[in-house]
This record gives sequence, C-alpha cells and structure tokens, in this order.
Amino acid sequence: MNIKIKNLTHAYDVNVLDDLHLDLDGYHAIGIIGISGSGKSTLLRILAGIEKPNQGTVEINGQFADDKHYKQNIGFVFQSHTLFPHLTLLENITIVLEKTRGIDKQTAKKTAIENLTRLGLDDQKDKRPNKVSGGQAQRASIARALSVNPDILFLDEPTSSLDPILTDEVLSSVEKLKGLGKDFIFVTHVISFVKDFADYVLYMDQGVIAEQGTPDMLDNPKTDALKNFMNKVR
Amino acid sequence: MVWSSSLKNKCFFYMRRMLKSKTLSYIIAISLFIGFLVFVALRQRTPINFSRLAGYESLILEGFINTIIVSVIALFGSIILGFIMYLMTKSKSQTLRTIADVFTEIIYGTPLLVMIIVMAFLIGPAFNSFNRIVWALSGIIIYITPYMSNVYRSVFKSISDEQYMAMDLFGFTATQKYRYIIIPQVLRMLMPPFMNNFSLIIKGSALLNVISHRELFFTISLFQTRTFAYSEGYLLMWLLYIMITVPLSQLTKYVERRWSLE
Repeated sequence: MNIKIKNLTHAYDVNVLDDLHLDLDGYHAIGIIGISGSGKSTLLRILAGIEKPNQGTVEINGQFADDKHYKQNIGFVFQSHTLFPHLTLLENITIVLEKTRGIDKQTAKKTAIENLTRLGLDDQKDKRPNKVSGGQAQRASIARALSVNPDILFLDEPTSSLDPILTDEVLSSVEKLKGLGKDFIFVTHVISFVKDFADYVLYMDQGVIAEQGTPDMLDNPKTDALKNFMNKVR
Repeated sequence: MVWSSSLKNKCFFYMRRMLKSKTLSYIIAISLFIGFLVFVALRQRTPINFSRLAGYESLILEGFINTIIVSVIALFGSIILGFIMYLMTKSKSQTLRTIADVFTEIIYGTPLLVMIIVMAFLIGPAFNSFNRIVWALSGIIIYITPYMSNVYRSVFKSISDEQYMAMDLFGFTATQKYRYIIIPQVLRMLMPPFMNNFSLIIKGSALLNVISHRELFFTISLFQTRTFAYSEGYLLMWLLYIMITVPLSQLTKYVERRWSLE
C-alpha cells in the first residue's frame, strides 16, 4: 500500500500528535507500537478516517482519509469486539452485507460463512456473541471486517482485552490472513506478533514517530526510547 | 453389615440431594407461607367463611378488572412520558435538563398517596376539572415517569460507543441503525424493567380507593362494609394482588434470562 502523511497534528488526551510526516510505499503489514499514551491508537484511528485530525492530511492508496468513500474500502477491528449482541455471529455479518452493501441474502450468507470459516468459527456461527469466548468474538469481529472485502484491515490492539492464550489464538488466526492479498495496519503490544507479521514498524513515543523501519530494527534499536521500550516489553 | 451401611449412606445421599434441590426448597418455602396464612385465618375472632362472598363475585371481579385497566393505562402513559423525560434529560437545552431534574426531585420526594390526592383534589380543581380518576391516574403516571426515564437512560447507555463506531464504519444510515441495531437491542432490555415498574403500578393503584375509584381495594372495601366480612375481604384482597404480581415477577425473570444479551 501507499501511505502519505503530511503535517499531521492532532490533540488527544493531554498529548499532541506533533507534525507527523510519512511516505511509505510497497509495504503490506505496518505495525505501530509504543507505550500507552504515545499516540499510536490515535494515529491508527486517523489513518482509518474514524477521527479527523486537527491539521494535516492522510492519503492512502491515492485516497484521502476524510473522503466519503474511503471508509467503504477499509475494515476496522476495535480493542473489544463490537459485534451487535442481539444477532448471531452469522447475522452480524449478513446484516452488514445486506443493509450497507446491498448484497442479496444468499450471497451474503455465503460470504459470511466463508469468512467465519477462515477464522475457524464455522461451528459457532449460530451463537450470539455472549455465548462464545472473548477470543471467538474478536475473531468474529475480524471476520465481519473482512467480509466487506476491504483493501486495508485496521486492527486496534485487538487482543488487549484477552488473556495470553486467547491472544495467541486471535493473533495466529490473523497471521493466516496473510495470503489474502490484503494490507494491514495494526497497533499491538505483542512484540512477537509484530516481528512475525509486520513488514514495517512505526515506534511511537510522545506523539511522534520516534523510530521506523523493518521489524529487525526491534533487535537493534537506535534510539534510547525504543531501547528502553524493548527492554521493558521483554 | 457392609451392605446395610452402604444402603444407609445411599439414603443419606438422596436425602441431602432432595434438601438441596431447588424444587423442594420452593415447596417448603411456599408451604411455610400457606401455613402462616392458615394460622392467621384460624386465629380470627369470627371464623373465616368464604361462602360470605356469595353474591359479590361480580363486584370483586369488577374491581380486579378495573385495577388491571388503570394499571395498563398508567403503564403505557408512563412509558411514553418517561421517554419524553429521558429526551429532556438528554437535551442540549440546559433549561429542559434543569426542568427534568427539578421535576424528578419533586416526584421522588412525594409519596404516591400524596401525589394522587394532590392531583385529584388540588391540581385538578385548579383547572376547573373534577374528573378525579383522570387526575389521580395522571398522578400515578407522573409518579412512575422518572423511574421510566431512568430505565431508558440505563438501557441506551448500555449500547457501547464502539457499536456506534462500528455502525458508522460500515455505513449504516441513521434509519438503519435504529431499525436493525439499536431498537431490537433496546426493546429486549427495556422489557424486564418495564415489567418491574408495571408491578409497582399495580400495587400503587390500590391507592386509587381514596378517590373512590372502583378498583380492587375499593370494591373489596365495599363488600366488607356490606357484609361485615372483614377478614375474608382482607385475605382475598391480599391473595388477589399476589396472584397478579407474583406471576408477573416470575415472567419478568424468565424474560430477563431468555432475552439477556450479556
């Protein structure tokens, strides 16, 4: 994918994303890491067009993030699953496809089952979110985000509310999505996942991109901030 | 010897299990209540004799039906008014929010009996209206309104911001959001607290006897003054209220379990 960030400035919590610039091309899985409050989730939301920056522009694959149609081409997975609790996992997907994409019932069901199966949930499809585990619900969220066939899938700390075993379960199913030909931009605390999955890493610190590069930078950090961070997460 | 001790153990095992079983514990609890009622009934100065009800069945039935009618009206009235009040508390206008706030405080501070009397004998006449039942019923509606407003608040709050974000991302239109996502969830969650408040209303409607409305309490009082069968009347009155409210509360619990989204 192609990402261009220009003069991005945005106030969040008590901090500020301070005049970010970025120009990347040809990467398919960009991982954003950093401590809480470093601005990584805010950056992700701005990249996804969920939040509008105070200043500056974000352009991905030639489309501006504040463009009306931009959201049609992305998928977003939140920290906690955002499944609609009154619908089964299957209906959670079909309702989106039928109502917002105008897809007919049969095709919607087929697509939904396809994506649920991809995430290993075909046997859970008729259960409501409250009847499956947190990991399964999060995987269903991912399946739902994928079902609208987005170009880019955004993941905002998708496992932060899960225990280590469920985290592993969710992240390994995300890794299996590599072959789908989609692009990923994600925020996570799980460094091993970044190393396995990302082909480019942004390390955020106090509202700026403090260090960036391919994942091997995590083994030889240049800045003190990333050195400290890597020592702590280990 | 070995055989008999194992049999004994088995007996104990089954007895313990029976005592632990829910059904049995309910049978015990309900029997205790009935036993108490029988004790109370037997201790009356004049022996209880339900045959004294003969000839008054239709009067009591009328009261029973009227109680249900006024309660249903009050339920729907407060469901509507509660929603308006909820909208006021959520309004952008500070004045509307303050009005809702002050109203709530005043209503919370007023006993239902006082509310009914004030509405029927003070506020109604101030508007040259002596239609007591309408005013008294409005009193009940107003009394329940803040509780209904709270129900709406907690239910709407339980739909997470992230759900709204997800709806936005997928591009649901405003109508679609309400029709397919919000209202179906809200309806399920509203039902149990509505039913709880319905029970409150049914119990509160007994106070309508102060304006001589022919609801259950009042018609039974009529029966009592005509026949002097006071104990029978009170006992029947109590049982009839319980006959409506207890199944209602059981139904509420069932709906709550069945429809829970947690």
